[in-house]
Amino acid sequence: MENTQTKSDIRVAQAPANVPNAEARVKSDLIPTLVVSALLILVIQIASFYVPSYIIPAPAEILKSAWQILSRDANHIFTTGIRLFIALFFAMGIGVLFGIIMGTLPKIRPYLRALVIIDTGIPALSWMLVAIFWFKEPEFRIFFILSVILIPFYALNIYDGIRALPKEWVDMIESFRPNRWQVLRYLVFPHIVPYIFLTTKSIVGYAIRMAIFAELVASAIGIGAQMNLAQSNFRIDQIFAWTLLLVIINLSLQAFVAMLEKIALRYRAEASVR
Amino acid sequence: MNASANSVIVMNGVSKAFGPHVVAKDLSISVSKGEIVALLGRTGAGKSTVLNMVMGNLRADSGTVRVAGLDPYGEFKKLRGKMAVSFQQDRLLPWRTAIENVELGLLILNISKAEARKTAKLWLARVNLADAEDKYVHELSGGMRQRVSLARALAVDPELVLLDESFSQLDHVTSKALRADFSKVAREFKKTCLFVTHRIEDAIEMADRVLVLRPGAGLCLEERVAANVREDEAARAALHDRIAAAMGDHGE
Repeated sequence: MENTQTKSDIRVAQAPANVPNAEARVKSDLIPTLVVSALLILVIQIASFYVPSYIIPAPAEILKSAWQILSRDANHIFTTGIRLFIALFFAMGIGVLFGIIMGTLPKIRPYLRALVIIDTGIPALSWMLVAIFWFKEPEFRIFFILSVILIPFYALNIYDGIRALPKEWVDMIESFRPNRWQVLRYLVFPHIVPYIFLTTKSIVGYAIRMAIFAELVASAIGIGAQMNLAQSNFRIDQIFAWTLLLVIINLSLQAFVAMLEKIALRYRAEASVR
Repeated sequence: MNASANSVIVMNGVSKAFGPHVVAKDLSISVSKGEIVALLGRTGAGKSTVLNMVMGNLRADSGTVRVAGLDPYGEFKKLRGKMAVSFQQDRLLPWRTAIENVELGLLILNISKAEARKTAKLWLARVNLADAEDKYVHELSGGMRQRVSLARALAVDPELVLLDESFSQLDHVTSKALRADFSKVAREFKKTCLFVTHRIEDAIEMADRVLVLRPGAGLCLEERVAANVREDEAARAALHDRIAAAMGDHGE
């Protein structure tokens, strides 16, 4: 008989999966993080006794500047946060889409993968300078810069996630003769959720750094622009204060993503290594 | 092999080779509606190849394979809802609860969420897991998982149920209980079943008919399992020995 209808659609390569336990890692990291933070404060305090305050300000001076920033310049933190969230969610959406296309459409995979790999090879600075030429509006510049830098992380990790999809599950779901959308809905989408969280946790810190850098060169408002201003005014206490706030923002975001991950992945067994 | 209009599976003169290795040679098998047939054989005898051809995962090199009158490979999608498979490993999706796993096949068949939930509840109760419907896969024992897997296959009310060594990874007691449960449900609902196993005891316990494949020799034994054989120790032992001899070893 002629093959009028052929067995599906979803074709995936295989590779082992390894997704670490988020909650256990966050808990085990908390005490060492506090210890290291205390040690750093101590080192800065001691150093501030021996060098001028325009080189290393005392922790109290940094805290005072941080308080001034929070009470006076919170709008810059808000602006940077909004920019970061919009670009991160956009990159997540497009990156996941690219990853799914690469993982499920073998004919398109090599071309899309080549595009993503080439993107990873372009330095962030090049994108920043190009964005200044291409876009007049600072918001578009920053959105563009963050998007082109972050999309490949999601695309490649989701592609790897789909490659790690167990063949047994694909055969099982195919035994019910689903259409392509049903395979994506019931198998592929839930399977890649841990990879989306893994990628987000991995790149949050990097995304913040890139957002600050982009604001530094492409905008007059936002944390990066304020740090640039502080540097122009020789206010090292403000640079330290902004840095402190950025570290806190980064850790808070990591904890927030870990909490979301815990809720979304509640089906996973808790495992610990002796 | 007599294929009739009543046959759900008909394989006629089927051959299949992987490179120089011939795994099925001029094989003719039929399974009638409501019949439970065991396919036995040692490793490499071609049991899984036969099952994969029936499932539509493999295409026969020559001969014809028909399931419910359709070519399972060439008309793969047309068998939607007509066939379900229970695998050696439970293959449950860990992000779905027990009841959500049972619902899976029903949702794929575009049955409404409410109706799928109702049917899944019913089947979980039939496999004695009514209390475990909201448990995630990691909270279930091996036997419970296999029961969920069987419920998932049966819930779609398929014409044909294929079992691929479904009980072989369970301990003896759990396996025996599950075999008994499955046989009861399959007979009650008049399901047609083809199950692949290397365990002779499983075949005698469950099947109406036993087919034995031997590597390179194709089908070498076909024997009906009379109802009294299961109770009569001597008859059971004699059948066991015949099957073991046909398989070319002592089986398990």
